Amino acid sequence: MSIIESLNIKKHCNKYRVGLWECPQFLFVLMGIIICFAIFTTYIVGRHFYDDPEIVALIVLIVASILFIIGHSIIMSFERIAKVSRDKSEFIDIMSHEMRSPLSAIKWQSDVLLSDKSSPLASLTEATRYLEIIYEQNEKMIDVVNDLLEINKIEDKELILRPSLFSLEKLTRVVVLKNEKYASSSKIKINLNIQENDTAVFADEERIKRVIGHLIDNAIRYSVEGVEVHIIIKQKEEFIYWEVANIGTGIVPEEYDRIFDKFFRSQNAMRFQTSGTGIGLFIAKSIITMSRGSIGFKSSRDKQTIFWFTLPRSNKRV
Amino acid sequence: MSKKILFIEDEEALQLAMSGVLSKSGYEMINASDGETGLLAVEKHFPDLILLDLILPKKNGFEVLQALRKNEKTKNIPVIILTNLEESENVEHALSGGATTYLIKANYSVHDIAAKIEEILNKHS
Repeated sequence: MSIIESLNIKKHCNKYRVGLWECPQFLFVLMGIIICFAIFTTYIVGRHFYDDPEIVALIVLIVASILFIIGHSIIMSFERIAKVSRDKSEFIDIMSHEMRSPLSAIKWQSDVLLSDKSSPLASLTEATRYLEIIYEQNEKMIDVVNDLLEINKIEDKELILRPSLFSLEKLTRVVVLKNEKYASSSKIKINLNIQENDTAVFADEERIKRVIGHLIDNAIRYSVEGVEVHIIIKQKEEFIYWEVANIGTGIVPEEYDRIFDKFFRSQNAMRFQTSGTGIGLFIAKSIITMSRGSIGFKSSRDKQTIFWFTLPRSNKRV
Repeated sequence: MSKKILFIEDEEALQLAMSGVLSKSGYEMINASDGETGLLAVEKHFPDLILLDLILPKKNGFEVLQALRKNEKTKNIPVIILTNLEESENVEHALSGGATTYLIKANYSVHDIAAKIEEILNKHS
């Protein structure tokens, strides 16, 4: 790295994905400049007021306070970077677990298929079942990898949406169908309530499909066995409003602020009862916000949780 | 009489593969899809060995292990933890809680696990 490159503080700060005022390199340079300036000023002031030590002491006190504040900012910025590093480690742990689960299933099924040398025709149905599982697990792996790529694109501000007009109802039905098997394994019924004939929205269909996928998956994942998950689609002024409600563990108020943070997983009782990456809601919020919609949630004491979003009905700016 | 193995695992794909191989090896397989059902199955079938996942609905693997070890009747049943959680705190937690061994699913084939089961059952018989 050349000396000129090493002096490009903005580039370093961009590399850490932090703003200038949170970037240690910038703060160090700023502190250096202030120290030089402070020494020079103290010298001038000291010379001028050499017979008035209180003024000199006051100026030294002010300079020391400024240096203390900058020092504190530097410590805070280091803490922030340390937190990011810790979050990344946690994320790697979670993701490796998420990827290992389908990989284990693929490994075990292939192991069984490869080791079963007895009459392939006799066990054709069994073999087909194993192949189906391998296919499903592979799909799960693809979803996890897609989420990873999506999160990187969002962070690097490289996510490009390709909006078009499509029916939110039709898309929701496709996603519900895909999740029905998962829901029925927990004896959960998905109830769809469409309150509007025309549910066309202007957004990136593929991306919104994933948002709905994440929200429905969460609703099933964090539901009590045997309950119903309700989806409502209705018009709300120039937007289409979509919500999914479930009865489950609920969200404690202390976690409200972090619910859309990436890698965030609730510390509730379900942490060891269901797996998850903690990136679905972060991706959902990023996509909905970029699509000129809004997203939020409500959680009540009876453990009902509603996640909702709105999307514009046309490409006109509202 | 064939030995009974209880597999407490919520992933059907893994249950199917494990049951297929172990049944062919002559074991009687019992599957449970969550912690609560797993503990009920222990009381009902009194298995010779338990394969236990950690992330489980209703009661997680740590809670199941604790319940097994607290009960006089079940405290000596060998328990193999089969999970993809690799953090040392989880391994220590499970082993100090009385697990016989701790295996990472992705690192073992079904046949490797079958061999491990045989080894543990031979030691305990």
